[in-house]
Amino acid sequence: MEATKTQTLRRTSRYRMDWIIQARSLSGRYWIPANPVLASAAFARTVFAFRLSAVAMLIVSALGPSFVSKGHSQSAPEVSPAVLEAQQLRIQAMKQASLATVAVYGTDGQGGGSGVCISPDGYVLTNFHVSSPFGHRMRCGLNDGKMYESIVTGVDPTGDLAVLKMVGRDDFPSASIGNSDDVRIGQWCFAAGNPFVLATNLQPTVTYGLISGVRRYQYPSNTILEYSDCIQTDAAINPGNSGGPLFNMRGELIGINGRCSFEKRGRVNVGVGYAISIKQAMNFLWQLKSGRVVDHATLGFTVATDTKGKVSVSNILESSDAYRRGIRFGDEILRLGDRDVATTNQLKNILGIFPDQWRIPIRFRNDDETIDTYVRLQSLHLPSELEEIIKGEAAQRQQPPVPKKPSAEEPIPDEKEKALQAQVVLKADPLEGLYAEKRGFSNYYFNRLQLDRILALQVQDGKWNDSSESWRIVGEVPKEQLAIEMLLNDEALTFRMQDKSETVHPRQGWPASIKQRASMGVAMGMRLWQEWHRRGPRLMGDAVYLGRNPVVGREDLFDVTRITVSDFDTLVYTSPKNGQIELIEIFADGQSDPVELYFEKYEPVQGRLTPKLLRLSYGLETKFLVAIDLFETTSPAGGQGL
Amino acid sequence: MMRRTLKIATLLAPFLAMACWVMNQVIAAEIQRDANVTINNEALISTSQEKVVKLYGAGGVKGLESYQSGVIIDDQGHILTSWSTVLDVPKVRVVTFDGRRLDATMVGVDPQNELAVLKIEDAGLVGFDLTNPAAASTGQRVFAISNLFGIAAGNESCSAQKGVIMATTPLTTRRGKIKSLYQGKVYVLDVVTNNPGASGGALIDLQGRLIGVIGKEIRDEQAGVWINYALPIEVAKASIDRILSGTSGSSDAELKSVAQPHLVNSLGLTLIPDVLAKTPPFIDKVREGSTADKSGLQTNDLVLLLNDQRVDSRKSLEKMLSTINREDSFYLLVQRGQELIRIHVRP
Repeated sequence: MEATKTQTLRRTSRYRMDWIIQARSLSGRYWIPANPVLASAAFARTVFAFRLSAVAMLIVSALGPSFVSKGHSQSAPEVSPAVLEAQQLRIQAMKQASLATVAVYGTDGQGGGSGVCISPDGYVLTNFHVSSPFGHRMRCGLNDGKMYESIVTGVDPTGDLAVLKMVGRDDFPSASIGNSDDVRIGQWCFAAGNPFVLATNLQPTVTYGLISGVRRYQYPSNTILEYSDCIQTDAAINPGNSGGPLFNMRGELIGINGRCSFEKRGRVNVGVGYAISIKQAMNFLWQLKSGRVVDHATLGFTVATDTKGKVSVSNILESSDAYRRGIRFGDEILRLGDRDVATTNQLKNILGIFPDQWRIPIRFRNDDETIDTYVRLQSLHLPSELEEIIKGEAAQRQQPPVPKKPSAEEPIPDEKEKALQAQVVLKADPLEGLYAEKRGFSNYYFNRLQLDRILALQVQDGKWNDSSESWRIVGEVPKEQLAIEMLLNDEALTFRMQDKSETVHPRQGWPASIKQRASMGVAMGMRLWQEWHRRGPRLMGDAVYLGRNPVVGREDLFDVTRITVSDFDTLVYTSPKNGQIELIEIFADGQSDPVELYFEKYEPVQGRLTPKLLRLSYGLETKFLVAIDLFETTSPAGGQGL
Repeated sequence: MMRRTLKIATLLAPFLAMACWVMNQVIAAEIQRDANVTINNEALISTSQEKVVKLYGAGGVKGLESYQSGVIIDDQGHILTSWSTVLDVPKVRVVTFDGRRLDATMVGVDPQNELAVLKIEDAGLVGFDLTNPAAASTGQRVFAISNLFGIAAGNESCSAQKGVIMATTPLTTRRGKIKSLYQGKVYVLDVVTNNPGASGGALIDLQGRLIGVIGKEIRDEQAGVWINYALPIEVAKASIDRILSGTSGSSDAELKSVAQPHLVNSLGLTLIPDVLAKTPPFIDKVREGSTADKSGLQTNDLVLLLNDQRVDSRKSLEKMLSTINREDSFYLLVQRGQELIRIHVRP
């Protein structure tokens, strides 16, 4: 009898029933199934008796206030419809949000943390410190009680973020993304997750709380994990909650829980938990989807707050983009990333939410004037430093973050379950082919996947792969009415402006011209445009999808592919909608401004989308515009420029 | 089997009923309030945050924090805070909500309630209105605002937490060691408010009225339980009144020496050398068999109070001892590690 009951208890918890009330008595923990059909008759009776007594108590207590507060009305207090409505909304929000909450385990079911699914195809946001001990494979449990095989996509060791991909469905429940910039102290919020690895039924624990602080900066403590611009809450966040979602009361995702203030009271919540803002997570999302080990950024200068509270540049690298934009020692930094800067902490906060290579707006003041410009962010770490971190984490893989639970609470699989598990083993590995190792990547497979995606985006009338190798482009600089001609082929690259003509090798030896800010940049950009369309990025050189970056003057983010061609690197910005190239940047080195060739306008010419208006910039200065009149893709007789 | 479960059910029933009743009270109280005022948490908390300051002073060693919180209690620049070792500096650094750094002077302390009042000059700050202190009761929802863990710096906002007053009870400890000087009425909270740096923070009701001051961290040595509590505003108000009317606190000038006083040396004590403007009165050595030894004083004890009067330095201890006749006994409050111990020194 005793054994049957225990087993029933365990089995019910294993079957992930819809409603399980967890009650704590003085002696231990009891699982109380509310669906008596699955439980044995005797157990059902005891449960029924218990529930009956509980219901009776509830009725008594509901009537309680009317007996106690005689001074008020005689009947039970009417609950205002507004309160009931608010409660219903809260229940709905939590129910919805719980569906997208993920319990993260190792492949052996050990360890554990939390995550949140953000797209129907199964991409999961979690903490780097949750995913890192498991290597590249893990299992994600969802609210439906099912475990899904999952693989790591990209990791951000500095920002403590990781993206995983669950497999097995294309309709995973996903969280709706909120706006963490709108989060204010005093708003209500709730966290969902797997604290203390309690979710043996894979259903998340929801904890309710107040936003205690916003835009908090938490120094890296013994690690490189830096929490900038994070949200502080008193909703209970405990070990195991890491990587899980923080929601606003509309059930929108506003943060990824990841850190707590612990001190002398041991590793349990003491009213202070921190969540990485969803804004930061979204800024990094596509970099993480690229399968890379992504990096954070520096401005190329440091700041200090002086006695008057001015945040000014205390040190600046002369090779930095910031220096080239005119920022000098002693200049006061007023704004960064469209936010005011009044303290060093605020500057660090803002900087911490952006990936490297992004160009973000900055406002600074020198002795004479206030200048608004953009600064290109530099990598915070050397690639080798990031590798060391990943290696260090890998070394700790033998010690999962949360110890295995005592066997008394371990569900015992019954025969059917065992058979099912055996079946799983026999089935083909669902993660087969979803992992590829490469230096600098957490999973190179996803980089190939993303590059395939942006190439597939190119609409039919944007394809040039069947065009001839020799192109002739004729146009003019509208302002000065200068005639321009470009000849692009595999032998040479020729650029003529009025009567001045220049020829370079079609694939190398460009840096010298770039450093001189040459007009030739237009032809170089066009040559790369041609190569991208005719041969594709993979044949141009070492092509790596970086993620999504902003383009100065545009609202949206663009897919960015970096190609190391020969003695130069290029960044190709394509539209996430149609794969069209928006901008090509060509870097001579890290010390000078790259060529920036913007493709301002496309028009269909003979059934192909053709660039009509080009803009050449160095730094942020536009050198000139080129309006294109003629676009010939047939080899002209004679083959000029040889 | 069934009987056993029923037994559990019967055992649990009163708790459940109690919980339901408390919840009902909370809901009922809330509805009543909601009917009258529509409150916006964000506005309420942000207004209150402007009345809470960050304090920085002595400490930073041996688990003693050098920071805590304080509450502005009027428009004259008076700040109420916990009386702690943080205040053992000539000038306590006050950082206001807008990031201003100001120096505060000590107005006085109330050792009994472990509260102190500081003052900053001409800062134009607006404080809580304490003319009609708000009453609070068990089951009521509250917000706590403090700079716990020193998370906020400069112009960053102090942290806000939500909670419910679980009990209103005296802070006497029947079992375990007494670590709190204050033994009076407290609000026990269901939220972990009493963290490092939180003491002196504000407890407010849903109308934004100050109803309590967050107390120091206290842990029951035997049970290992940390208590989260606040001193009710009427207790704080009594301290403020005492301090501002000048009936409490220490003023060395008024002390009158006696002809045959106690001397540090004759008690059997050696204090650490007087090297600072306010050298803390740490006991360096206790002579064996001396009065101090027999009374139970030990090396490394820090003298905090003498007959309930604040001892803020080695000099002031010497001065205060000089006012007590050699035949008379007196009380010392000493800090030993993280403990406060009251010692009766009998000649």
